[in-house]
Amino acid sequence: MEQVETMQAVAIPVEKHKSKSLWQHAFESLMRDRYAVVSMSVIAIYAFIALLTAFGFIAADWAKEVGPSYAAPSWDYIFGTDIFGRSVLAKTLKGAEVAISVGLVTAIIAVIIGVFLGAIAGYFGGKIDECIVWFYTTFSSIPYIMLLVAISFILGKGLIAVYLALGFTSWENLCRIIRAEVMRHKDREYVQAAKALGGGDMRRLFKHIIPNVLHLVIINFSLTFQTAIKSEVILSYLGLGVQGRPSWGTMIDDAKLELARGVWWQLAAATAAMFVVVLAFNILGDALRDALDPKLKGKS
Amino acid sequence: MSEKLLEVKDLVVQFRTDRGKVTAVNGVNFELYKGQTLGIVGESGSGKSVTALSVMRLIPNPPGIIAKGEILFRGQNLLNLPLDEMRKIRGNKIAMIFQEPMTSLNPVFTVGNQIEEVFALHQKEFSKAERRNQGIELLKMVGIPSPERRFLEYPHQMSGGMRQRVMIAMSLACRPDILIADEPSTALDVTIQAQILELMKKLQSELGMAIIMITHDLGVVAETCDNVAVMYCGQMVEKADIKTVFSRPRHPYTKGLLESIPSYDSTKNREKGRLPTIEGMVPSLLELPTGCSFQDRCNFVTEDCRGRKGTPQLESLLQGHEVSCFNPIVV
Amino acid sequence: MNIYVYAFRRILYVIPVLLGVCLIIFVLFNLVSPDPTLMMLGKHANLKQMQELRHELGLDRSYFIQYLDIVKSAFTFDFGRSWSTKQEIIEMIKNGAGPSLTVTVPAFLVALIISLIVALFVAFYRGSWFDRIAVLICVALMSIPSLAYILFAQKILAYDLGLFEISGYEQGFPNFIPYVALPCIIWIVLSIGPDVRFYRTVILDEVYMDYVRTARAKGLSETVILFKHVLKNAMIPIITWVVIAIPFLILGALLLESFFGIPGLGGITLNAINSADFPVVRAMTVLSAVAYIVFSVITDVLYTLVDPRVRLK
Repeated sequence: MEQVETMQAVAIPVEKHKSKSLWQHAFESLMRDRYAVVSMSVIAIYAFIALLTAFGFIAADWAKEVGPSYAAPSWDYIFGTDIFGRSVLAKTLKGAEVAISVGLVTAIIAVIIGVFLGAIAGYFGGKIDECIVWFYTTFSSIPYIMLLVAISFILGKGLIAVYLALGFTSWENLCRIIRAEVMRHKDREYVQAAKALGGGDMRRLFKHIIPNVLHLVIINFSLTFQTAIKSEVILSYLGLGVQGRPSWGTMIDDAKLELARGVWWQLAAATAAMFVVVLAFNILGDALRDALDPKLKGKS
Repeated sequence: MSEKLLEVKDLVVQFRTDRGKVTAVNGVNFELYKGQTLGIVGESGSGKSVTALSVMRLIPNPPGIIAKGEILFRGQNLLNLPLDEMRKIRGNKIAMIFQEPMTSLNPVFTVGNQIEEVFALHQKEFSKAERRNQGIELLKMVGIPSPERRFLEYPHQMSGGMRQRVMIAMSLACRPDILIADEPSTALDVTIQAQILELMKKLQSELGMAIIMITHDLGVVAETCDNVAVMYCGQMVEKADIKTVFSRPRHPYTKGLLESIPSYDSTKNREKGRLPTIEGMVPSLLELPTGCSFQDRCNFVTEDCRGRKGTPQLESLLQGHEVSCFNPIVV
Repeated sequence: MNIYVYAFRRILYVIPVLLGVCLIIFVLFNLVSPDPTLMMLGKHANLKQMQELRHELGLDRSYFIQYLDIVKSAFTFDFGRSWSTKQEIIEMIKNGAGPSLTVTVPAFLVALIISLIVALFVAFYRGSWFDRIAVLICVALMSIPSLAYILFAQKILAYDLGLFEISGYEQGFPNFIPYVALPCIIWIVLSIGPDVRFYRTVILDEVYMDYVRTARAKGLSETVILFKHVLKNAMIPIITWVVIAIPFLILGALLLESFFGIPGLGGITLNAINSADFPVVRAMTVLSAVAYIVFSVITDVLYTLVDPRVRLK
């Protein structure tokens, strides 16, 4: 019949316009942003370096004395040496390991706690919601540094303590955001539809709603990552940081005694290394927000 | 023939996107006469809103730019005016109302304050008391009960229909020559839609302004317009008075639109069951086919349409009836 | 509902939060924290000495009493005595508040003015190279840890160039200025990045709203649109942001005070942390939490006054 013929005639052009999913769209949009691509490359490089040092392929000899104490940067020692004559370049590279792992683990912990509590609060409402809101309100009322210090006190020193302390203090913001978004989605039509089709609460929550709030998690992840890197510095200053291996935080902290003697290179190296990766995260975070949050289109 | 108020010639409007330059309006021409209502009809993305915004020079730049053309208001090219001169015309000689009454008013100022603002801007000789009185009169004119009370209210205290009435009142404050209405009733309930359109017709007969009615709804066009221009992918494909367009459409797209209107009239000669549609989808403006933009969806497509003769242009078939097609429907 | 009822209800809600905060503080500092007597007496302490000290410090009372103590202190501000200096903590707070405020208050005001002006400019010229560079600068400023700023500034501006005092403090105006100027500047630099970003986002949120298009269609100029229509809407979240920042001025900047020798609350807190002086750390935490809670109530009530959509009769 006429309709079938014309259907065939237009079959091919219609194929061409298969609509892309939101994620594909976002990904493509992200790839088109030069600054986002550069930032992601920078972060990838840092992550790669961290992996290399973790397995000992480079800077494995960071603890070795390579020159005189406090040698200034020169062709022999590119970033100079520290008080023990160790290469600052090696320490800086090794420090990437701590930074990346701290950022990653903290962000993961924060995401797990924040998304879980936020989703449950937003979805089930009622008493559960009130409890969780009360919980993160009380947490937010305590200044960040105090909480960090208190938790660190309890957990002692060391890397695991740093992970936990930073992780437990970074989830509130995400929790609040996820809760609000889940509440907004709860009453949307597609959830009612899923309800009508059967399927329990948890299934609805995880299969339908959470994918729709994932973009907020991604945006928040980059923010948490860089805040964690910066906070590690404060923990090191308070003596609660990483022991036994170099971190940018301890290098900056050591600098407070060195500067008076004119030794600036450890501070410069650590600050510069941190600056580049945190800046990259900031730029990436902005680009992610532009790509993933449809409401913010046109505001970059 | 009444006075020609507006003449748009060869209007081309482009937008810079991260995927390249998009031509949203590609060579549009039309005229508007005093007291006339011109409807511009099309699907989303056809370029009808962009055309309307161009008349007011409200196209955001970046990313949009009016690349070519002339917009002659009473003979004067609006595109050449310095911005401060253009601002004297906006809200004053040419006014516009928009689709979303819920968000088109500033939530932190009273409705009265926002109406007075128009007077303060364009009719500076009014005193504060006169602005207030005139404002209340305007609210009365658009059919808002208890206007004195409403004048002091905030937008969130009003329903969508009432807010749209306020928008209409604001736009007519200075008795403009032209009112551009971009889908004024689309966001409202069906019963309120009818009321708003009624109101606009009444005000037109009282105040005598010309109206450009942008809509995707042919029903609205039938209700309110004298002439109609049908747009597709940035171009006008058919232009005529409504009687002609509704009874003797010549462009296949117009015909498809008319046929797809659901009807309660069982005497219409159509198959029961499926609602007729225009097959296929509107092509992306970034990937328009060579030749006629409608070729992939057209039931009357020929080889000429695929680029051999270039892109079709608007041609006068009969007095007052223009079609842009290489194979217009024979009537 | 009128505003007094709302305020009252809001304050009522504060109570469980306050109890919760005290609970967290109790858990952290009284329950799971390491035994301070060991730290204070050293490794060679015997059991009797430890028991005596525990009694003296009130650590042998029941947990419930200890918790109630904390709650009481939130209302009476009677925090007991410092373990290290033996001073009454409330006295220490009174003495320390002044110096802290001489740094934070001027810094806060200056940062607010600069950030608002920059944000308004950036919003007016949105999308231009000015906008992009400004955002980049803000982001760059935010990418340097505070400790690095302090060390750089102290070494170069104070020590090498001698423009400011390296550390120390003198009471009374204008004597404290050379001591307070540099920490002030550092605080401002630390605040401008996030502040400008926030104000810019808030203002741009409004700039793309439909009512701005309506205002333009009425014939208003861009300047009037920004300063009348947009600003009045943007002020709502900005005011709440500014008000909630106020309680943080009280605690002072821990690191700044420590490095620049300002005898303010921040320095007191840091010393207490380093010497495991729990009552002081507890007191500072309670004080900040109470201040934060009070100001969040103020913020909420203020919001109802400023936003006509939620205004109460």
